[in-house]
Amino acid sequence: MSFEETLESSRTLNELLPELKIQLTKRMIIMGAVSSRDWQPIHHDTEYAREQAALPDIIMNNYSQAGWISRYVTDLLGANSRLGRLKFSMLSPLCPGDEAVFSGRVKSCEQSSGMRWLELLINIHVGERLATKAALRVAVAESGDGSSPWQCDPAQRKP
Amino acid sequence: MDWLTFGLERFVIVCIKDQQELPSIVSDWIGTAVVKIGPFLTAEQGLWLNYCAAVEDANPLYWRGSEETNFEPIAPPAMLPSWVIDHHWNPNPTHKPLRTLELHFMLKDEFDLPFGVVTEVELEFHRPVKAGDQLRAEQVLVDVGDEYQTRMGLGRRWTIAVHYYHADDALAGIQTLRFVSYRKEISS
Repeated sequence: MSFEETLESSRTLNELLPELKIQLTKRMIIMGAVSSRDWQPIHHDTEYAREQAALPDIIMNNYSQAGWISRYVTDLLGANSRLGRLKFSMLSPLCPGDEAVFSGRVKSCEQSSGMRWLELLINIHVGERLATKAALRVAVAESGDGSSPWQCDPAQRKP
Repeated sequence: MDWLTFGLERFVIVCIKDQQELPSIVSDWIGTAVVKIGPFLTAEQGLWLNYCAAVEDANPLYWRGSEETNFEPIAPPAMLPSWVIDHHWNPNPTHKPLRTLELHFMLKDEFDLPFGVVTEVELEFHRPVKAGDQLRAEQVLVDVGDEYQTRMGLGRRWTIAVHYYHADDALAGIQTLRFVSYRKEISS
């Protein structure tokens, strides 16, 4: 059963989402920082990160983490799902060489204006270490002739 | 960003003093758009596809659009704050690039708390960003906590909300950042 099919079932709540594992590289972290226009040296300069910021290496910036979390969720819920809200806390760093493991669950699901709003809880672990925890509110169309979360009346969309 | 580091929960409150009065300049900032910045650049698909490649996001809404977006690609929502970051270099040698979160630095200066970390980031998304859009931002001080003893030294918490607007003043989204700032104590 695909995750989208699972969403249609009544077993959705609290089910664990399929994991995503990403082997982080220096290039990946630098690309994320540069493409999100974040020029702070802790995201591209290993020597600075270690000597000036007492970090183990360069670390993934918050905009990239938001992008990875968004990508994880929309891959699972479908490209047409629409993020309403994303809240996250960075508890420990994501560095080159880490294997970042994304996991989570659906905390709640509510119907509103022809859409379903899902609340998801997502974690990023490196081994046993929790690096980031996130909560998202995402809209998906109801099955059948439900409203598209992208084309609904903005006044009815409550992110 | 140097203040977006980690170990955030380690800055636990050791003790909280009685409710303190804020300097009037700071209390006047609460609830107001203290800093208004941008636009600095025009959103382009080529820019946001670099970001999609960095996070390996194949979502067709960003690459070619779909019926949902009237077949017009949109920028990844998570990239919203990136559209209102000043260029790191400017052809005008007298131009000093604006710091991304100027209000945060103003508070650090006001309280003499040189170090700061973000404890939580929250993004709320409204009208999507498309190619050709130019965004501006307003930085609103939401609250400032009392001074307290962090593990690193005296510090304070504060919350800043950045409201992002399109050229027609439609809301693109809101980014809320919660900080702990502190000054290091010299150990004897």
